[in-house]
Amino acid sequence: MLKMLSVTSFVCLVVMSALFCDASNPPVITVRKSGANKAAVSLTALKADGVYGRLFVQTLQNDLKLSGWFEVLPSGRSGSITVQGVVTDAGGGVQSNLRVTWPGKAFNWARNSAGRQEVRNQAHKLADEMVRLIAGEVGIASTKIVFVNRRGANNADIYMCDADGGSMMQLTRDNTAAVGPRWAPNGRDIFYTNFVKGYPTICRLINLGRSRRMLAPFKGLNTGAAVSPDGGRIALILSYQGNPELYIMEVASGRLSRMTKTAHGVEASPCWSPDGRSIVYVSDVSRRPNLYLVDVASRQSRRLTFRNTENVNPDWSAKGGIVYATKGGGGWQIAVMDPARGESSMTYVTKDGGYEHPSWAANGRHIVCNRASTLYILDTMGDPSVRLINIAGNWMSPDWSER
Amino acid sequence: MHKMRVALLINTVLMASLVCMDTGCRTKAGGWRWPWQKDRSMELGASGEDMLSPELLTGVDIPGVYDESGALVSGARFEDTLQQVQGVGFSAVYFAYDSYVLPPNEIAKVDAVGQHLIASPNHVLVVEGHCDERGSNEYNLALGENRALAVRAYLVNMGIEPDRIQTSSYGEEKPAVMGTGEGVWSLNRRGEFVLFQR
Repeated sequence: MLKMLSVTSFVCLVVMSALFCDASNPPVITVRKSGANKAAVSLTALKADGVYGRLFVQTLQNDLKLSGWFEVLPSGRSGSITVQGVVTDAGGGVQSNLRVTWPGKAFNWARNSAGRQEVRNQAHKLADEMVRLIAGEVGIASTKIVFVNRRGANNADIYMCDADGGSMMQLTRDNTAAVGPRWAPNGRDIFYTNFVKGYPTICRLINLGRSRRMLAPFKGLNTGAAVSPDGGRIALILSYQGNPELYIMEVASGRLSRMTKTAHGVEASPCWSPDGRSIVYVSDVSRRPNLYLVDVASRQSRRLTFRNTENVNPDWSAKGGIVYATKGGGGWQIAVMDPARGESSMTYVTKDGGYEHPSWAANGRHIVCNRASTLYILDTMGDPSVRLINIAGNWMSPDWSER
Repeated sequence: MHKMRVALLINTVLMASLVCMDTGCRTKAGGWRWPWQKDRSMELGASGEDMLSPELLTGVDIPGVYDESGALVSGARFEDTLQQVQGVGFSAVYFAYDSYVLPPNEIAKVDAVGQHLIASPNHVLVVEGHCDERGSNEYNLALGENRALAVRAYLVNMGIEPDRIQTSSYGEEKPAVMGTGEGVWSLNRRGEFVLFQR
């Protein structure tokens, strides 16, 4: 009974979530156990027929669970949210004619889609629409995750999959080292560091890997490219003037601005703030890698982390929090902090060690990271972690798209 | 297989034609638009058949990159234009964990490289920095670069012309020895020497 939708608790949850996003309040990171506060969805009146029809329903059901906001009821039970109608195989895909209802509200969903991927995409879109309209949250089912498969010494390639781990696709076939793929805000381009030329260059994989170009083939190190939220600037790590430093490149003019001057330290892993005014990055000017924050206009940096021995791989959510990997007594763990309140707001997302390279989902709630050669999705609101990839390989360095 | 080769060929031809085309244009809104955004026919499906292989890495993304003094930032890497020298090998130099200080007991190895460069004025050098597998891959790339730079600084101090020595970093991506444990890690935290003929 606890798991059934309690309208009041659900409304509370939505109101609380809205408060967290309110610009007048500082962003609040919540890591809490709220697994029971889920809206119950019944798919009993959803009739699926054929291979694609069943694929659609399976994908939808899984997406609703992964969203974190819904509990899908066992067949035969009725909930306050229902998806009813028919999904039938048609023309090598599906034809859907559905109606989603919840207390006092409803919407219709009628689409045609051809091909396996389109069927899955349509289910992802419906799941995201339900999250948006019913829970008032950002859906992530249609987003994608890019990552590295490292086979051995100087032998890796870039791969991508849907947020549910399905539709995995190999994007490059270089068999040379590949480091740190990152999505551009457009959700179509991916920047990463490759070694095709025998030295590190930044590459842009254009339009989900349909073509690519080199961004920085300069002397020394070229890595770490992160595109600003407005798409107009790229933060990157270059060493052509000496040792590795943080730069910003303006896309339209090709003009570089140097953000750091640390003759005795290196910089790595830049990530923009949601407003595009600051960049969080890793520097070892304190002799160990720690997180720093630079104000782009003034070029003034300040240190963010002092705890533990290493703090790396920051990712700044559009919802305000910074997630990062931190190495303490218990090994590598994932932590989140509110940059406005600093390290005093630090909270661990993991309970034990072995986790690295976190990246936020667009909802500011879920995190993808790597552990023991595979990828996991963590939930800052307490749902159990989900293993994303079950294929043998050395999967690492995931980055979750914003859209 | 045949289908794959055809797709590859088409892709190669398209990429080659891209190089000949203009390199993008500014939109009215001030944004940046790439040539292929005007031409939907260039969008080959991103399926496994059209994976990007090394020969499909052509052209630069942003045609001119300038530093704050307005000077063009150039590549001019030895790896791109010069032939690697075969038959001359040097011992790698090894580093302590998370350190880019050249250890005193490794200096004799760098001296030997310096003596070779003094005796062979047509040879130039790339110092390649490497790390062990622990820690962040991205941080390790930067750490490896600083190891290579520490070796380079020593050679420049010996009197080798700075423009004869370039640096490169593989971070933890190209271990000399696969495996785990300090015995393996200590062999992977290293600087290697690659000679080129100019």
